[in-house]
Amino acid sequence: MNYRPKPTFIIFGLLGSLLLINLLLPIVNLLLHADWSHWTASLMQPDARSAVKVSIIASAISVLIMALLGVPLAYLLARARLPLKRLWISLVFLPMVVPDLAGGILLLQLFGPYGVIGRPLDARNIELTNNLAGIVLAQLFVASPFVIVSALAAFASVDSKLEMAAATLGDSRWQIFWRISMPLAWPGIAAGITLAWIRALGEFGTTLIMAYNPHSLPVYMWVKFETDGLAGALPAAFWLVLLAAVAVTVSMFLSRLTGYADVVTPLGQTGGKLT
Amino acid sequence: MLVIALLAFVAIPTVSSSEDHTVSILYAGSLAAVMENGIGPAFVQATGYGYQGEAQGSLGAAQMIRDRVRTPDVFISADPSVNQSILMGPQNGGLVKWFVTLASSQLVLAYNPHSKFASKFEAAAANKVPWYEVLEMPGVHFGRGDPRIDPKGYRTLFLFSLAGKYYHRQEIPGLLGDPLNPAQVFPEIVLMARVESGQFDAGIFYKHEVVAHKLPYITLPPEINLGDVHFAALYAGESYTTPSGQHVSGAPILFTLTIPETARHREAALAFAKFLLSSNSLLNQFGLGSIDHQVGGELNQVPTDLRRFNSGTFKP
Repeated sequence: MNYRPKPTFIIFGLLGSLLLINLLLPIVNLLLHADWSHWTASLMQPDARSAVKVSIIASAISVLIMALLGVPLAYLLARARLPLKRLWISLVFLPMVVPDLAGGILLLQLFGPYGVIGRPLDARNIELTNNLAGIVLAQLFVASPFVIVSALAAFASVDSKLEMAAATLGDSRWQIFWRISMPLAWPGIAAGITLAWIRALGEFGTTLIMAYNPHSLPVYMWVKFETDGLAGALPAAFWLVLLAAVAVTVSMFLSRLTGYADVVTPLGQTGGKLT
Repeated sequence: MLVIALLAFVAIPTVSSSEDHTVSILYAGSLAAVMENGIGPAFVQATGYGYQGEAQGSLGAAQMIRDRVRTPDVFISADPSVNQSILMGPQNGGLVKWFVTLASSQLVLAYNPHSKFASKFEAAAANKVPWYEVLEMPGVHFGRGDPRIDPKGYRTLFLFSLAGKYYHRQEIPGLLGDPLNPAQVFPEIVLMARVESGQFDAGIFYKHEVVAHKLPYITLPPEINLGDVHFAALYAGESYTTPSGQHVSGAPILFTLTIPETARHREAALAFAKFLLSSNSLLNQFGLGSIDHQVGGELNQVPTDLRRFNSGTFKP
């Protein structure tokens, strides 16, 4: 069985590498045409550094919130007996199909200074748009589904017999979650968190509407593109690629720490079924 | 190869079947409604050519042409100086050799009709209260364009500076705070979304944007609204330097048209230019002002077919 499917792999390899080339070529092209001295100078500019800082801080906050709230939600959706469960699950996908700009406008109408939620807060001088909070709200909206959906799939793929066995041995739900479900589902959850993190880092359309200021890296890149053309935008694009690479590396490192190095791919969860 | 073949399959029908019959226009973002709802369809109906429009900030659009990431057949800018500083001359690769002024516009103060200050703005529109006194009221949220990326952004700075002198009220420019005041400054599309969705009470816009979006507005005096060529000398007293070092001076708001050297469909481009230069009433309907079409740059480079529309030379 292990030796037979070679021709299949060759064909799939050919097909897959075509797509891979298509995915990597723009980035390779970016690096090949790099104007390193100019780029490093641009990256040292105060507004570029501030944009990097804003992006890192905002996405870190977003990822924390998404993990703290999204993982319990996913567990609930996977394991609890909920009425209309399928409906709740499909609602989670909704932000993924809302176009970015529309998402921004929807959020603005809620959190803006005259929005349902924004108005009473604005009266107390708390603003939810055009600051870090606005960026985080935009990132939460577009990126949370990645955490919830991945965690949901990961929890669902945990063998429920193991959980039942723990229950018969007297474990509470809480103990079962931490001892059985969470460790087994972790690779999938980690993959979802990584995806969400990268999505949050690169978020542009919704953020532009919710928080033009302070510039996050994608917004900064757009502003530079508008003012200085490609020469202005490429260094910022390089920063974004770099940050995403860091996010993937951190995620791989984290899963290695938890002992799942062999089965975790940062961009997709496979569970323990590879071998 | 397969991928390229598939992509080619997707790409070919739009390129070859409409070769020379579809004109692609890159235009100043504020013209979106005028172009997509007015000019575009009218052009297709009148001439049988296809029409493909793309809205971008004027500065950004010009950068895209210079960086060759867009090769539009016609470029419509919201400021003659964008042609001159980014596209014309050897330092810019000479991608544009001439332009003609197309139409004028003016700055207005538009407001959301459901704003809690709407009655105050209405009173200002009826000249019962000065407009700047409404903006001075505590709690009013108003927005404006970003001077870094949008000519309307720096024009708004000029407007408030001119208003301070015109009304002899030195505190008027102070309403803006810093030129880049993050509480007020937004890209065009975001600003319109904020005022339309009621998240801002008011904003400074071009008249034609406000007409297209059907927002109520306050007309400002020609001495300050940058919409009247007769006050060009007065406007010229204002200036601003962008953070990236570009120096801009006050001037009447003029939209310009050109056919860049990189245009792919020259015949269609000419047809479109002719159509647009003879569409004054359509432009007026959308809130733009008619002007004499003056030529900037090299007069002898203007296509022969367009010369009959010209009246004089544009002096910046």
